Amino acid sequence: MVKEYLGRYWLIFFVAAVYLFLYIPIAVLITFSFNSFLYPFQWVSFSTKWYWELWHSSEIWEVTQNSIIVAVSAVILSLLLGLSFVFYSARSRLRFVAPFFYANLAIPEIVLAVGLLSFFNFFSVPLGFTTLIAGHTIIGLGYSIPILQSSFAEIDYSIIESSLDLGATIHQTFFLIIIPMMAPAIIACSLLVFTLSLDDFIIAFFCTGETAQTLSLYILSTIRTGITPTINALSSCMLLLSSLLVVIFCSFGSRVRVL
Amino acid sequence: MNIFKQCKQYFFEDLPFFFSMPAIVWEVIFFCIPIICIVGISFIKNWDVSAFSGITLFHYIKLFQPIYLKIIVRSFLLAIWTSFLCLMFGYPLAYYLACKASQSIRNILLFFLILPLWTNFLTLIYAWYFVLEKHGLINDILLSLGLISAPLVMLHSLFAISIVTFYCYLPFMILPIYVILEKLDRTLVDASQDLGANMRQTFLRIIFPLSIPGVLTGFLLVFVPAFGEFAIPLFIGGDKYMFTGSLIEHYFLIARNSSMGAAVTSLSCLLVLVVTLFLRWSIKKKFSYIEGRK
Repeated sequence: MVKEYLGRYWLIFFVAAVYLFLYIPIAVLITFSFNSFLYPFQWVSFSTKWYWELWHSSEIWEVTQNSIIVAVSAVILSLLLGLSFVFYSARSRLRFVAPFFYANLAIPEIVLAVGLLSFFNFFSVPLGFTTLIAGHTIIGLGYSIPILQSSFAEIDYSIIESSLDLGATIHQTFFLIIIPMMAPAIIACSLLVFTLSLDDFIIAFFCTGETAQTLSLYILSTIRTGITPTINALSSCMLLLSSLLVVIFCSFGSRVRVL
Repeated sequence: MNIFKQCKQYFFEDLPFFFSMPAIVWEVIFFCIPIICIVGISFIKNWDVSAFSGITLFHYIKLFQPIYLKIIVRSFLLAIWTSFLCLMFGYPLAYYLACKASQSIRNILLFFLILPLWTNFLTLIYAWYFVLEKHGLINDILLSLGLISAPLVMLHSLFAISIVTFYCYLPFMILPIYVILEKLDRTLVDASQDLGANMRQTFLRIIFPLSIPGVLTGFLLVFVPAFGEFAIPLFIGGDKYMFTGSLIEHYFLIARNSSMGAAVTSLSCLLVLVVTLFLRWSIKKKFSYIEGRK
């Protein structure tokens, strides 16, 4: 009886166990962000004072601003470069270059990071925002070009032809036909690149000097010195933001082939 | 005027070229040249921007000392072990998501699977402090159950490093397998069962071989970053165990010996490349009939 029951439901138990494993650490992390005691492993009482502290910390706001500047620039750059590449290379031989962009994701990120570091050192480029944005755009291109290209390939070419036949210029066709049809892919792609840039710390760790402190670097340097509940509060906030982005992404992503 | 018109015409004829160039140029400047830079630096005697001091294989020869070999082998084993664990735990989950779960449950579970991927990696690592620490969750539970009398020391051990690596990369294995299994032609499964295969035979001879491309993608998505991992050893391992990632970081940022760091980087890149190509080749050889079916 028990054996039969196990045989039928073992997969469900297994899945539940894996999800518990995935979410127990996160749950503990969030729980301790509401702890009123400074020493982080002992539960004392409920309080939101760490969130209060987070809200009033000027350093956090500064690094958040930096991170957002970098992430938005990386999104804009990788979208612009990606779109113009995908659109204009579709009918030429250059489209065979596209798989090459997968290489950006296929090598360990640390290799790219040290490569960029020695490249910038070689040409004595000062490390800072620009170098960080350049690195994040490379990672972004690795995602945006395959996604945009598969979305562009799904557009029926006769629609573009009929638009051109009916007297629209190539630029009108681009802005009035192709961009709206690719909108889900563009939105999904920009969300993906934004999150990647926000969460990245390997390229940031190597390719920024002291000048451009990002959110991830701030978390990294704080964890290195020890555990503080403020980081728990910050992590919980970022988790909330990520889940929001994932919800938006999933509602578009169902129409976009991402992987 | 005429010349201007002609120029304009030429420009529009070459539009594809002009507009697809920026991405390629960006790729070459910030991807290809840096990689070439790394390989180049690894052969230079004493790396200095101003003075060139000759070509040497010294750094690579130095890497074959046992102390460095041990680090590289350790990272390699960690990456293989993590990928194996992820496959063992991830495959059933992907199978459940793709074949057994109802639509609404599947959407919820997928959301919770994608969320860790979109969460800051450091946050995930940091969360494990609260589980593994001396006064963390596991010790709390074990102590209150009376199973142990003194708290176990779990941080700064290989066990902790491997479990956190497994935790961080598990979703990377599940998603590609899920994508493949979801697209699997169900009539093949029905046909196999009609022809008298039992569930186990159907799985081993139909479902699993067809999902091999997903397994391969998942394996590479786990193996490649796990091999170059440096944050997990740094925080969970507490600098006690060196891995390839920490070695690269040490040479570039602390020891300021770029040539040596570049040699480690190039060698590990080569290793990753060899593993990738070997896997592709061996799978193509073994499961060639799948390719033929397409």
